[in-house]
Order: sequence, then C-alpha cells, then structure tokens
Amino acid sequence: MRGRELHFYLAGINNQNFLMRDRETGSWWQQVTGRAISGELAGSALELMPNDELTFALWKSESSSEQRHGLVLAPVAGHEKDYDEEWEKEVAKYPVPLTFPGQGLQDRDVILGVTLGGQARAFPLAKVRGQSPVEDKIAGVPVALVTGPDGESVRVFRSQWNGLDIELYRDAQSEGQSREWRLLDSQGNTWNFAGCATSGPASGQCLAKINFLKDYWFDWKNYNPRTTVYNH
Amino acid sequence: MNRVMNRSENRGLWLLLGLLAMFSLGLFLMPAFVIRPFRHQSERALQLAIAVKRIAPALTVAAFLGVLTLSARLWRRSSSVARTGIVMTLVLSVASAVMVRQNYFEWMFHPIAAAGFVSAGDAHLGDKEMVMAVRIGRETRAYPIVQMAYHHILNDTVAEEPIAVTY
Repeated sequence: MRGRELHFYLAGINNQNFLMRDRETGSWWQQVTGRAISGELAGSALELMPNDELTFALWKSESSSEQRHGLVLAPVAGHEKDYDEEWEKEVAKYPVPLTFPGQGLQDRDVILGVTLGGQARAFPLAKVRGQSPVEDKIAGVPVALVTGPDGESVRVFRSQWNGLDIELYRDAQSEGQSREWRLLDSQGNTWNFAGCATSGPASGQCLAKINFLKDYWFDWKNYNPRTTVYNH
Repeated sequence: MNRVMNRSENRGLWLLLGLLAMFSLGLFLMPAFVIRPFRHQSERALQLAIAVKRIAPALTVAAFLGVLTLSARLWRRSSSVARTGIVMTLVLSVASAVMVRQNYFEWMFHPIAAAGFVSAGDAHLGDKEMVMAVRIGRETRAYPIVQMAYHHILNDTVAEEPIAVTY
C-alpha cells in the first residue's frame, strides 16, 4: 500500500467475514472487499491479485506445461490433524448473521460473483457446473464462465477476441477425455482452459481473464446489495 | 462531624473504585460482545467497537492507576471483607488491561507463523484437492484450501511481490 509492505493478521469478525489488521499501521480491513474500514489507511483498498481455485492436478499440469516455478504450501507442523476435508459441510451448519430471501437463493448457496462496470452479478456455482460454458453480458461486456476438464475448477473470461464477441461452446468430441478438453467458438478457434487459442485464426492468443469471487450468497449480497442473479 | 464527613467521603471513594473497575471491564467486554461470531454487526456498532478497541489499551491503564490510588487510600481503614473487595477491583482492572492487549482471534484461528513450501512433486495432495493458485511472473503458488480454511490467512512473497492470501 503506497509503497509500504503490510503484514496482516486476523483481528475480528464482521457478519461472518474476517476483519484483518496490519502490523504496520494497525488499520482494520475487511477481508472480502480488501478495503480498510478504520484507522490510518481507512478508505484505501488492496489490489486483488489474479487467482484461481483449481484442483491440484490441474494446477500441477498447468505449471509444468508453462514451465513455471511452482511451490505448494506445506502443512504446518502440529496442525496436520486439524485440517478437515469436510470443512465445507461443517461450515454449512453454522448459523448465518444475515439473510436475503427473494432472489431464489439459499443463504449458504455458493455463488461466483462477478463485478464489471459497477454491476454485480451472482452465478450459482451449481448452475455454472451444469451448464458450462455459461455465457452472459455484464454492463455490456460478454463473459464466459467455464468449468475445466476436471469438472471442478472454474474460470471466467471476457469472450471477446479481435474486438468481436465470440460464442464459446463445448466440443462434444472431447467430453470425458480430459487430455483433449477444449472449447470451440463461432470463428473456428479452439480454446484450452487457460483461455488460450490452440488452433484457428486466434492461435497463440489468450482471452482476458476476469476476476471473480467464490462466496456464499448472503455474504456476496451483503457487500453487493444491488447484485442481480443469473437465472437462465 | 468529622466521622460523618469521613463516611460520605468513604462512600464516594468506594463508588468511584467500583465504577472504575466496571469501566475497565466494559472496555474489554463491549467490543468482544459486538464483534462475536455468528451475529450480525451493524456498521455503527462495528465502528464503535473498533473505536473502543483503539482507546482501550490506554484507558485500562489509566483506570488501573485510578483503582490503585483509591485502593491505597481505602486499604488502612477497611475491614478484611472490604479489603477482599479492593483486591477484586484490582484483579478486575489488571485482567481488563491484559485482555484488551490480547488478540484472542489468533488463539482461535491459529495463524501460520512460518510457512514452509514444497515442490509440486513432493506435496502429499490428492489430484482432486482444491488449491488457491496465484501466478506472478515465472512463479506460481498453490495454497491447499483445506489448509487455508483452517489458518485463514498467510502473508507471503511471490516473485518479490508481497501478498496476503486469505480464505
């Protein structure tokens, strides 16, 4: 922040979302927005780094094929037994501090939240998995939400190439064969899950990736009160 | 006449002693109560709780000094029952001053003091396990979600870029 390196620690909870403080200024930050809500840095926002939620296998194969130097966070000694594979089921039992009925979603439904041009939209994860690729427009920008070859990992792309909107669809022939997983478009390109064209006129070029937040519906709605919900 | 004066002065000092101890305890309990899990926090309540947390370290020390001064004045003229009361107010104000300096959220959520990393080949992870992945320059990191869902936060540096990973 402003050329100064900050180190964060957990300092509280606000409507089931963490509050963090930085050791350098003691300012208070909201985890989900990355904004400082109190203290010296109040009003400033951290930059969101592009990130993915991937299966380990997909991350491994992508980092080796791109020849990147990949490291995995090791379990912290003494805590190995505390890591609970079933943590999502446990969290689902917790009460929610806020409830937003009326938009067809349950409080703890997992959504993918996308914000573009000041407009927020929630895409129910179950729907994205079932319909991938999901194509939509947010504030005039064409977007595609794509479930990867592992059926779990999700990415969001701006479905525009060379100034033109493109329509992505699944290649029926590649179904079930993760090695050849690819998407096709209306202009004769094939695309991989990294969003890069593997053949066709766009070959070698990549679609712009769009950041999104995987969140519970009540939390997303709390911070994006005017959000719409994708329901096609 | 003198005895009456003493008695009302005494009563005033005792009242002040009790109030200071309660005030001190309140400085700890009020934010702890507002910022508690599974409950709704309104914007105003949250800002108030944070404001109290900011001034509590200084105010609890001031309250403790007040309690100490009053205790010293009251001690000699107090019965053993009253002295027990004095000790209790001292304990309360010390405990409050200590507690407002503790980050009890870190007791609950076990932050990672020193992160260790392994190469992809050495990681004991199943293919289907989800990771948070960050790529900067030629470097890429995978943070297993099952670990991040437990520790919740990690300060890391990737390709010389300081980042905070939080889940």
